[in-house]
Amino acid sequence: LAEHPAGMASPHTEEPPTKGTADPDRMELSQRLAVEELITTEASYVHNLQLCLSDIRAHLQQKQLPDFDLEGLFSNIDDILHLSRQFLRGLEATAAQEHDQLLGTLFQEFKEEMETVYKIYCASYEHALLLVESYRKDPRLQEEIMDTLNATVPHTSASDLSFFLVMPVQRITKYPLLLGKILENTPAGTSTHQALAAAVSAMAQANANINEYKRQREVATKYNKAEHLTLRDRLARLNTHSIAKKTTRLSRLLMHEAGFVSKTEDKEYDNLEEKFQSVASSVAGLKENVASYMAHLEAFLVPAPHKRELQMEEGPAQQYHRLAEHLHRAVFPEFKRRLDRLVWQPLCSLSEMLVGPQQLVKKRLDKLLDYEEIQERKSELGSVTYDEEAAMNTYLAINALLVAELPRFNQVAVQLLGQVLGSLCVLHQDLAAEVLHEAEKELKQLPHGHMPLPAFWRLVEDTLQQAGAQLRTFTQAFETVTPGPVTQPLTPAEERKVLSLVSKHGPDKLYQVTSNVSGSKDLDLTLQRGQIVALLQRVDTKGNTSRWLVDAGGPRGFVPAAKLQPYSPVQSQQPGMQTPTLESVPDRRRHSYASPEAPRPQVATFTPAFQVVAGFSFAARSPQEVSLQAGQPVVVLEPHDKKGSTEWSLVEVNGQRGYVPSSYLVTVPVQEPMGWSLPV
Amino acid sequence: MLSRAQEAPLQGTELPADPEVVPAVRWIPFKIGQPKKQIVPKTVERDFEREYGKLQQLEDQTKKLQKDMKKSTDADLAMSKSAVKISSDLLSNPLCEQEPGFLEMVTAFDTAMKRMDSFNQEKVNQIQKTVIEPLKKFSSVFPSLNMAVKRREQTLQDYKRLQSKVEKYEEKERTGPVLAKLHQAREELRPVKEDFEAKNKQLLEEMPKFYSSRIDYFKPSFESLVRAQVVYYTEMHKIFGDLTAQIDQPGLSDEQRERENEAKLSELRALSIVADD
Repeated sequence: LAEHPAGMASPHTEEPPTKGTADPDRMELSQRLAVEELITTEASYVHNLQLCLSDIRAHLQQKQLPDFDLEGLFSNIDDILHLSRQFLRGLEATAAQEHDQLLGTLFQEFKEEMETVYKIYCASYEHALLLVESYRKDPRLQEEIMDTLNATVPHTSASDLSFFLVMPVQRITKYPLLLGKILENTPAGTSTHQALAAAVSAMAQANANINEYKRQREVATKYNKAEHLTLRDRLARLNTHSIAKKTTRLSRLLMHEAGFVSKTEDKEYDNLEEKFQSVASSVAGLKENVASYMAHLEAFLVPAPHKRELQMEEGPAQQYHRLAEHLHRAVFPEFKRRLDRLVWQPLCSLSEMLVGPQQLVKKRLDKLLDYEEIQERKSELGSVTYDEEAAMNTYLAINALLVAELPRFNQVAVQLLGQVLGSLCVLHQDLAAEVLHEAEKELKQLPHGHMPLPAFWRLVEDTLQQAGAQLRTFTQAFETVTPGPVTQPLTPAEERKVLSLVSKHGPDKLYQVTSNVSGSKDLDLTLQRGQIVALLQRVDTKGNTSRWLVDAGGPRGFVPAAKLQPYSPVQSQQPGMQTPTLESVPDRRRHSYASPEAPRPQVATFTPAFQVVAGFSFAARSPQEVSLQAGQPVVVLEPHDKKGSTEWSLVEVNGQRGYVPSSYLVTVPVQEPMGWSLPV
Repeated sequence: MLSRAQEAPLQGTELPADPEVVPAVRWIPFKIGQPKKQIVPKTVERDFEREYGKLQQLEDQTKKLQKDMKKSTDADLAMSKSAVKISSDLLSNPLCEQEPGFLEMVTAFDTAMKRMDSFNQEKVNQIQKTVIEPLKKFSSVFPSLNMAVKRREQTLQDYKRLQSKVEKYEEKERTGPVLAKLHQAREELRPVKEDFEAKNKQLLEEMPKFYSSRIDYFKPSFESLVRAQVVYYTEMHKIFGDLTAQIDQPGLSDEQRERENEAKLSELRALSIVADD
């Protein structure tokens, strides 16, 4: 009996039925016995399976042992039991009918299901053995196992579970042998013989397939995991053997690429691999793009403009607020959640699954290079070592595995991608539906909710334009709130300058600087608040009307028009004293200065806006002097005498001219709110 | 050598009898520059503060709203572009050449995404025109307002200063020079006072008007916001509705979809080439 599954029957076990003299009766008896053996062993097999399952496993299950992998140990033994029970019934039926031909037919009927069920069990048997071994080392678990065995199957000499677990592995290999025995006792040439022979080869084939499947599983499990090795690990792995291996492979690969050696062409595999690579890159790309999309969605939901209500309690602002609030709080979070479940998660899982095949594809190439190498040697030397044979088989196994499974992988992956895309569509549709559902409610309350779109946009445009005009008037209004009177004292030099400006340009060209100006360009002036300048041009050389050319009483240059205020020498009220603005929009309101209630002082109209008044009475003592009455307004003609001394001023008063002491003069402002006073 | 006249009688300009400024004769010295009397009544000042305060808050809110709107529309555009990338990257993958069914699906999906992107662009343009631009214009009034308030404040300071000067002279012994100076001081004070009152009045009138103008001003903007969304999502609903009918099974619940996905994943997991962990 083969204990190790590697010792499964090879495909050709048909023994020629030439055992000596064909004694028909003996033959028939032997045949009968062989059939009986088949049936009885099957019955006992089923019985043991039953024990294993319902007693042993159930007992262990009840114990609820942690760290105990029942699934790993027992695999799909239920299926085997179920199958074998049916098979046994079939066997008993054929025996009853005494029609041996039916036996062959029965095997044919069951062969497919047997292969399917046994291959799973056999492929995981190795793993089960490892588990048994590891549990044996654990004294606590071992005790539990022994306890169970003693409780359930005391009559057997089983020392551990493997006694039972190995049974299916053994059984499947037995079928060809048992059948063979029946066959050799069947007269050749009969239809029964034919049927049985077919059954034997079918069972042999089944065993071969199970073997192949097992090998592929082993190879897959060995190579399909990505190895996350550090550099240190990789270096540790280097030894002469591995280096030699890799060198050989590399040189072979180079020879491939250079065309020195022909590659083993496998069109079928190449197409599959190409398709697989496309699938892999699609999945990877899609996953990355979906991640990026989700990040953008998050970023989109961060700013909450609808929270800025501008203190508007009702009206469209509220409608918008409600709509946006609902979207932020309910609709988009739902969208995100569904996106995660129906698109992102599946993509992540699919992406993980790419690793196995990718590793196997890589490994296949390595093994292919080995294979070709060994193949060459084989044709030279005639034979190869056991290890080399094994290496060749590994390549063949990987190749066969990939060829067998990649088509399915590719197909299912593409289907899943399709499902994901479909979900993405539906999610958008539902999102839109949700938004519209809420928006319709708010739309109804909007004043122009029912207006058709083109008309609505036109209306909005017109309204905004009018509103813009209204804003401009507000701006105007605020700008014409006049700058304050500049209450700095003017130096005598400044006064003189003002006089000269007036005489050069006229009193209506005077402007006062309302705040400090610092020139930045070449021709810009730097001026202090309160200085007086005369306007030369309302525009600069480039046509910019916000830069004016002025005479600052010496230097000439540009100042910003916004910082100038008309400085009117005329007493009478000036309507429309506008600060210079950029636009020529007609003011809706003209700001006028508040007119003073004081009666106007008697001054000549051409005097500058400051007014000199006699502070004290003065009696002229010479023809050069002139008398003053306190409070009398005078016109200063020259604020100094002939020798240049400023103690005396030449004034005109009451039609007379003459000198008076400068200290007797005081300067007072006229009614315009620009004025200053000499320091007292 | 000049000697001053002993007495220089006040004459010339008539001093207006200013009823508001009645200096109280106090012997307690006070800080130079601060008038004794409260120039601006507390209620008026309070009103002014309140109105200006509201406007300052409004300025802050409009600025923030503008910023948030900009951020929101920028993020919206980016999101739409990344959605288009999903479909166009898939379309350019060789898988589409190898799988005709897949190609058809991805092409339809890509068309839909691109159309949505252009509608999104339109939506954002509309918002730019009807919301962000008006916000900017509205905000641009505030500098002028703030400047005007500052000027009023300057005037007020000047007013207070001149007022206290007048009060100072009014307390002194009424000699000739003092009277002259008093007259002069009063002459200086009057236009400043009037100017302040004018400014104050004007601002007190204009500020509430401006504040309440926001309601009508922003109505179209908010309506537009709602309307623009409706337009965009209506398109989205139609486009993706058609697309779903074309490439997907409508009517599936989320659970059903999840189960279908899980089924495919299980099929894949069952393969030996797929590593299980």
